[in-house]
Amino acid sequence: MMNRKISSKMQIGVLLVPGLLIFGIFTIYPIAKLFVMSFFKWDFGSIFEQPFIGLQNYKDVLTDKYFQTAFVNSIVYTLVTVPAQMILGLLIAMLVNSIHKMQIGFRVVYYLPVITSWVIASLVFKYTFNTEGLLNYFLTNVIRLTGENIRWLDTRWGGLSVAMLLGTWKGIGWNMVVFLAALQTCPQELYEVASIDGAGSIRKFFSVTLPCIRGTILFALVMLTIGGFNVFTSIKMITNGDPGHETDTVLTWMYYKAFSTGKFGYSAALSFIIAVVLAILAALQFRLMRNKDQN
Amino acid sequence: MKLTKKKIIHGLIYMILIAGMLIVVLPMIYMISTSLKPNGALYEYPPKFFPEWKEITLENYKYILEQSKFYRNFFNSIFVSVVTVVIAAFVSAALAFCIARFRFPGRNFLFTFIMLTMIIPGTTLIVPQYELAVKLGAINSLRGLIPFYVAWVIPYSTFMIKGFVENLPKELDEAIYIDGGSVFTVFFRIILPLTKPGIASISIFNFLTAWEEFPWANTVINDDLKRTLPIAISGFFGQHQFTQWGYVFALSVFSLIPILIVFISCQKFFVAGLTTGGVKG
Repeated sequence: MMNRKISSKMQIGVLLVPGLLIFGIFTIYPIAKLFVMSFFKWDFGSIFEQPFIGLQNYKDVLTDKYFQTAFVNSIVYTLVTVPAQMILGLLIAMLVNSIHKMQIGFRVVYYLPVITSWVIASLVFKYTFNTEGLLNYFLTNVIRLTGENIRWLDTRWGGLSVAMLLGTWKGIGWNMVVFLAALQTCPQELYEVASIDGAGSIRKFFSVTLPCIRGTILFALVMLTIGGFNVFTSIKMITNGDPGHETDTVLTWMYYKAFSTGKFGYSAALSFIIAVVLAILAALQFRLMRNKDQN
Repeated sequence: MKLTKKKIIHGLIYMILIAGMLIVVLPMIYMISTSLKPNGALYEYPPKFFPEWKEITLENYKYILEQSKFYRNFFNSIFVSVVTVVIAAFVSAALAFCIARFRFPGRNFLFTFIMLTMIIPGTTLIVPQYELAVKLGAINSLRGLIPFYVAWVIPYSTFMIKGFVENLPKELDEAIYIDGGSVFTVFFRIILPLTKPGIASISIFNFLTAWEEFPWANTVINDDLKRTLPIAISGFFGQHQFTQWGYVFALSVFSLIPILIVFISCQKFFVAGLTTGGVKG
């Protein structure tokens, strides 16, 4: 019996070790290293020796005009795309939930943008929004909405708008599938009781649907906020930060500083700031949802 | 009277859904239609959504298929994605099983810690990961991509599979122990087979993640023949002054085919995964 207990423990260990090893080396170590690097002068000029410089990197990041622009861009990107995806995704989920035929068909098609890779989707959008591209032709010559071609990709808000449109387009399907699954767990009786009490559709939405899917809303909100700050490929492919880094987001700017100018210490500090900001945001989102729970 | 009103509403819902669906697929149709245009027509003005019937050509596809590096890039993507999926499924299932079923010191801390790392966007770690890859000699190597991808997908996979394990009655495990079975027996004979739908659904996500990953592969791989498809596509795009859009989109269509096959054939698992694990969170 004793032997068996020991061998059970060993077997549990054997099962745990591969995952912990991979996770430890390739995720935990980089997180620790990121933290350490952010306090050292770590760039092309200090390959052999990296002196400790305290909070200098953090100071450099926070006072950097370019970082501030990129930070504002990331905030705007997140503030626009997260609600847009959630509202459209929930709306489509509710519509799909209310019909009986073709549910699976709609679910598959609306999910297609999610499985399209970022690189491909970005290139399609870039091609469509080209100054001489299809969209401008449609706007100026077919429906004559604009007098001349809009230079979508050559301005800060133009480029960001294209990226935000892409992010929303790509995210609706995920929200739809997640919300649809949540809606199908809402007890039908609650809707029936609400009907008997004379509640209209809008009233039902706010008193039955929303409370029922609150957990999912929180889950989506946290995941999408992280996703919003993680935006990288679309910006890199569509504008590459141009003109003059005006369309950079925090991560494309971090990447540029690290791999084009060799400022690894600066980039580490920047990454750490973003991680902390996201941790605070996630905590706030949890708090907010829990407070609503109590009311 | 009431029935007709209901019918009208239903008709409207279908119309809205179909209209939305058309908007959603528009960019993809445009991609396919562009890939069928002769290369000379790609800078035509006025631009057309569809090529004219007699213009339709497969020359872009032919060009891609004639490139020997295309096959290498395709194989690289398959290799990296499949190996990532298999390793991730095994190690995440093992982690999930141990965390769900056994009390060992630091168990709660471990699980919370793994979950907390999900808050950090993957790309923020690119600088220290690059430093690590240099140390390990993993620069410019396909094998260098895989452990990073696995580590990346472990938290979400473990979280999801743990949900599935917890849904299985503990009596199943106990029956095996009474029969003299070991921890391994339970894991391989009970847990793995019975959580297969969950593992399958998470594996679709993991396949997609590895298949389309761009920032890390783009940073680590610079040899033409070692590129995965997303890097190959972006390479086509930047190569010349004038992007050969026909080639870019033909290659894109090729790279979407495996994803579509995986997605459509695993539809059932996929939804099961989202409903069981995701919503709980």
